[in-house]
Amino acid sequence: MLRPDFERNPRLDFEFNRRIPYYILAGLAFLWLLSGIYIVGPDEQGVVRRFGRMVRVVGPGPHWHLPFPIEKVDVPKVTEVRRIEIGFRTVHPGPPARYVDVPEEALMLTGDENIVHCEVVVQYRIKDSPKYLFNVRGQRELVKDASEAALRQVIGRHKIDEVLTEKKSEIQQEIQKKLQELMDLYDAGISIVLVKFQDVRAPKEVDAAFKDVASAREDRERLVQEAEAYRNDVLPKARGQAEKMIKEAEAYKIERVQRAKGDVARFLAMLREYRRAKEVTKTRLYIETMERVLPRVKKYIVEGKGTLNLLPLEKVVRGGAR
Amino acid sequence: MRGLIWIGASILGVVMVLSMVTFTVDETNQAVVVRMGEPVRVVKEPGLHFKLPFPVETVHKFDRRLLEYDSAPAQIYTKDKKNLIVDNYARWRIVDPLAFLKTVRTEAGALSRLDDIVYAVLREELGRHTLSEVVAKNRELIMRTVTQKCDAATEKLGIEVVDVRIKRADLPKENERYVFDRMRAERHKMANQYRSEGEEMALKIRAQTDLEKRRILAEAYRKAEEIKGEGDAEASRIYAEAYRKDPEFYAFIRSLQAYDAVMDSSTVLVLPPEGPFFRYLRR
Repeated sequence: MLRPDFERNPRLDFEFNRRIPYYILAGLAFLWLLSGIYIVGPDEQGVVRRFGRMVRVVGPGPHWHLPFPIEKVDVPKVTEVRRIEIGFRTVHPGPPARYVDVPEEALMLTGDENIVHCEVVVQYRIKDSPKYLFNVRGQRELVKDASEAALRQVIGRHKIDEVLTEKKSEIQQEIQKKLQELMDLYDAGISIVLVKFQDVRAPKEVDAAFKDVASAREDRERLVQEAEAYRNDVLPKARGQAEKMIKEAEAYKIERVQRAKGDVARFLAMLREYRRAKEVTKTRLYIETMERVLPRVKKYIVEGKGTLNLLPLEKVVRGGAR
Repeated sequence: MRGLIWIGASILGVVMVLSMVTFTVDETNQAVVVRMGEPVRVVKEPGLHFKLPFPVETVHKFDRRLLEYDSAPAQIYTKDKKNLIVDNYARWRIVDPLAFLKTVRTEAGALSRLDDIVYAVLREELGRHTLSEVVAKNRELIMRTVTQKCDAATEKLGIEVVDVRIKRADLPKENERYVFDRMRAERHKMANQYRSEGEEMALKIRAQTDLEKRRILAEAYRKAEEIKGEGDAEASRIYAEAYRKDPEFYAFIRSLQAYDAVMDSSTVLVLPPEGPFFRYLRR
């Protein structure tokens, strides 16, 4: 490109040739300075050390630091949530995800000396990047060890039934709190985002017995339900029957009273007539009744007194009955 | 060309001299400066520092961070003679690099000493507590005591033990089986209890139901009889009130009605001709 022309201007060419090494040197120096440019991603923080001493922390964007060996920069991902698995490992993120158990991590003693199987996920992120970078070695191991310790310590304070059912979420929070305390004790610059039970169950050796308890509890519910069904069947019927009895009684009462009123009305009517002509009415009623009664009965008209025992009464009666 | 050589040589020279008389201490490090085999000063401040050139002064760097220590699981007996497999970890740091350099020299050396100390302290301390104290009640306290004792024992090594913690404390396999048997028995008991409770509650509900039913029916019976009684009384009152007006006529008319009702074809009437009915017959 820049091809010097010896013919035309040898003096100038000589001058130029003499300067080339300086240009190269300047270029190298320039490149050296350029090597200090770095970009901090939106999820990162830049931590700059000058001769090993931390001098500044910068946010996302392009930055420049004094080139090596004076300054160097670390860009930890501060918003990234990291994840630790206890008691299991994800072997294939899926879908469908596949896991393997790690029994020696998962099995642990509870406060009532039972053994429970816990699988836990711990999520954490960097809270303070200089502390995270410079205060501890093996950050991930630290979180892992502390998680296991906190998990077992908290589970050890609770009974197995609390762990399996009622107090699950409280226990998760307790573990998280304990773990955060440990992180603060170690001054690790780590914030525990979440501690979550992936799976909590009885060990497989005793699983059947635990399932039987669950089904026994269901049996109890079922028996109670059945009894309540019986109650709901019987009581309304009984109430209905009671109502029926009362209504029948009321009907009887109405009947009695109305009939009485009817009878009385008839009697009073007759009485009124009777009072108008006592003897005649009496006689009339008597004869009318006789007229109705006598045709259907056997009648013997016997003269004289004391003759009744002469009559073959038995024969008469039997004949009449026939 | 000569100028260039000059510049190059002088830069090289400066760098060489600087590298001989300076050293850097990183945020993660601390250093001990040794002059002719004799430690002379400790540098904990990170940054650029000066020293006499090699071989007069040499620099030993040590990690300043919190360091890991993970022991192998060990069998430990608790006070109540129970066997526990304890897997613990510790976190420690070098606080006095001079003492550290004089006693253990390297991290590997420190770890082997730490191993002995932590194991001994843990064994002794756990031996003073029962299993349930270790697992459940006093874990935090025990850990704190162990940490303090380890820290005291490692002080002369220039080490601070920040925390010793039981990662796992589990029963050996053969004891585990025993625990599983016990758990099964407990669950069996619970299952039986649930089922019996279910029957108990069901029986109670049924008994209560039967009681309710009989009470309802009995009350209904009482009420029905009361109502019927009222009806009878009312009817009786109505009759009496009317018939009282002329008892004689009532007796007469009621008798006639009764004759009508009572007498049928099986009735035999023996009538004297003197009776009122035949009065006109006899004439």
